[in-house]
Amino acid sequence: MPLRARWIASMVAVLLVALGVVLAVQKRNEPSVPRLVQQHAPAPAFELTTLDGTTLDNRALAGKAYVVNFFNSWCIPCHQELPALKAFYEEHRGERDFAMIGIVRDDEEGAIREYVAREKIGWHVALGGAARAAVDFGTTGQPETFVVAPDGVAVCGAIGPSTHEALNVWLQAARNGQVCT
Amino acid sequence: VSRKLLPWFALVPVVAAGLVVLVARSGPDDSAPARAARLERQLACPECTGESVADSNAVSARVIREQIRTLIAEGRSDADIRAHFAARFGDRVLLTPANRGIGLVAWVVPIVVLLVGGAGLAAALRRWSRTPRLRATPEDEAVVAAAREQAP
Repeated sequence: MPLRARWIASMVAVLLVALGVVLAVQKRNEPSVPRLVQQHAPAPAFELTTLDGTTLDNRALAGKAYVVNFFNSWCIPCHQELPALKAFYEEHRGERDFAMIGIVRDDEEGAIREYVAREKIGWHVALGGAARAAVDFGTTGQPETFVVAPDGVAVCGAIGPSTHEALNVWLQAARNGQVCT
Repeated sequence: VSRKLLPWFALVPVVAAGLVVLVARSGPDDSAPARAARLERQLACPECTGESVADSNAVSARVIREQIRTLIAEGRSDADIRAHFAARFGDRVLLTPANRGIGLVAWVVPIVVLLVGGAGLAAALRRWSRTPRLRATPEDEAVVAAAREQAP
């Protein structure tokens, strides 16, 4: 091979290797924290109708630290986190500055009613306006949990099942004006 | 004006009209349904793998389709609407690569490949054009001369 052709081939090889390195070092990991929480952005406005027909909007929750949990009755990880959600809710349900909402991402009303009754879920469960809220919160699956501070900022949360301990840490952070890192 | 040139002058307005029609028809359709359909193809369904909002029947895709129509009706530009969903889901929701960061690679690499390929082709053509043609040897000349002498 002539010297010039060898030089060109070497340059092309170097460029290809450099491109491969650049692509390889790109972050490919799925995020474990919702984008809204990563940005500590204000929670989007929402207007929901709960299973008992009550209208619930973000204005009514201003000044409270509240938990928003997106779930479905058919979602296995949602079943896995349910005991943690129940224990957490029982601890805080009597507190005046606390609220908790379950928002159905993609499910049938009958299945959700049956699931809520069977599991004795005591917090608000919203179906009306839920799909829109799921998009506005930037959810990409279920379960996803957001903890919103009294000033309306989504300070903590997770993609995937939450633990009892994490929920308490997040609520404390929201109440103390802190954010999760 | 020479009569020979008249047909060429007559051709000018025809070509101009053709170009105008071509340019007018090649521009994107700015009607609301066309814009919505285009945006649906440019946005990825956030909960799917490799499906656009246009192709998916997932709940988020259905909601995004509705929201695209609402945002268009509110007078938002296509860039605004893409930015609206990128703010919620990140750049991964954009099916056309971003013109910054690693997305630049997708735009720059084809241009570089074209430039390098064109330069390579030009160099090759130049080299081929420099290759000397076969010249007649004295033996060839002798054969031709002999043939001429024998010719009537």
